[in-house]
Amino acid sequence: MNYVKKCSVLLLMVCASFTLSHAQESPYFVTYDHHLEEPGNLEIETYTTSGIARAGQNNYVAPYMELEYGVTGRWTSELYLEGQGTVGDSAVFTGWRLENRFRLLKREHPINPVLYLEYESTSEATRIQKEIVGGGADVTSLNSELQPRKNHELEGKLILSSTVHDWNVAGNFIAEKNLSRGEGFEFGYSFGVARPLATLVSGVHCRLCRENFLAGIEFYGGLGSTQDGFSVHNTPHYVAPVISWQVSENGSLRFSPGVALTHDGSPVLLRFGYSYEIRGFRSAVAQWLGGKH
Amino acid sequence: MPGRMLIAMLVIVFLKSASCQNTSYQQDPGWRAPAAAAARPNPLASRPEAAAGGEKLFRRNCVECHGENGAGIAKKNSADLRLSIVQQQSDGTLFWKITNGNADRGMPSFSRLPELQRWQLVLYLRKLKAVPDARP
Repeated sequence: MNYVKKCSVLLLMVCASFTLSHAQESPYFVTYDHHLEEPGNLEIETYTTSGIARAGQNNYVAPYMELEYGVTGRWTSELYLEGQGTVGDSAVFTGWRLENRFRLLKREHPINPVLYLEYESTSEATRIQKEIVGGGADVTSLNSELQPRKNHELEGKLILSSTVHDWNVAGNFIAEKNLSRGEGFEFGYSFGVARPLATLVSGVHCRLCRENFLAGIEFYGGLGSTQDGFSVHNTPHYVAPVISWQVSENGSLRFSPGVALTHDGSPVLLRFGYSYEIRGFRSAVAQWLGGKH
Repeated sequence: MPGRMLIAMLVIVFLKSASCQNTSYQQDPGWRAPAAAAARPNPLASRPEAAAGGEKLFRRNCVECHGENGAGIAKKNSADLRLSIVQQQSDGTLFWKITNGNADRGMPSFSRLPELQRWQLVLYLRKLKAVPDARP
């Protein structure tokens, strides 16, 4: 058996030993709550952010993929790969991000703080708008102008999240520093509330029943920068209903139509997402590599 | 060769599903519900039919670590939920533990589930067949 076949069999056997999960995912696209990935699990997520253009702009689609891994019960790490395609322009790979979230308190509290740290290596052509800081993404310039301008950025978020009855209420304060250019610190915010559509689960198998849906609403936007002033003016702000549907034992779909509240940025952001969770990823990989699990 | 591979995979899946239960489970002494939380009654106690939904939630959220029958998995140090040291705990205590988790010991918080669903889980845990504790 050659090397490729051995690797294929190993991969197949690792996959065979995974357990599929049905963790109910947060419906948010931008806002983070205090629920982290379970330790040893891997979640594979694919998203798109589609921007509907104003007059003189072009529509665009910015797809991105996340690999979210539960390192410990209080530490989750994620790798993002992102791209962007603009009608009448071009499609480009816009870079990658590595983020870490640390839950600061062990138990559930009325307000649960989580610290978020991210390193980004992206170009100015990035349009996924996973968060909006400063004046928001540049959606008017050509990719040929934006793509050569690479940025190395550090981003921090303070995530405050609470469970009030069956509602999740979460707020994120964002600060970002571009290490490649002297832009000062840029700021942003997001706020979300969401709840499941059913509070009791029936004993029967169902897919379209309310227990598989969560719905809510998000608000997000920029808060200016230290260079241009801490302000809510000249920066995009969006209101976005969010809904998620557990479509299978291990997969969920999300959708969110975001509407701009200001004349900055794209007037409408349509976000779609699909996530697929693999439980026992770490122990399965460790087992097959012959290590500790 | 494909036949041997298939047999090997079936054996592995069988061994995985039969991985040893954790009857020697010892509780984390620092993982205690506050008295007020421990005293909370299960609001679904008069609705035993809700346990069917609890079983569904158990299969979705708990089986990975506690096993199909709640016997726990030794290598994960997860509790054998059938043991009397677990079953003797009050409904409120079990609800509090499901809600808060014990992150440093690998038990996640399930506060993302609505409160009634967590009570459904407690209802189902009471239906697991009890086994005697293994004492050293």
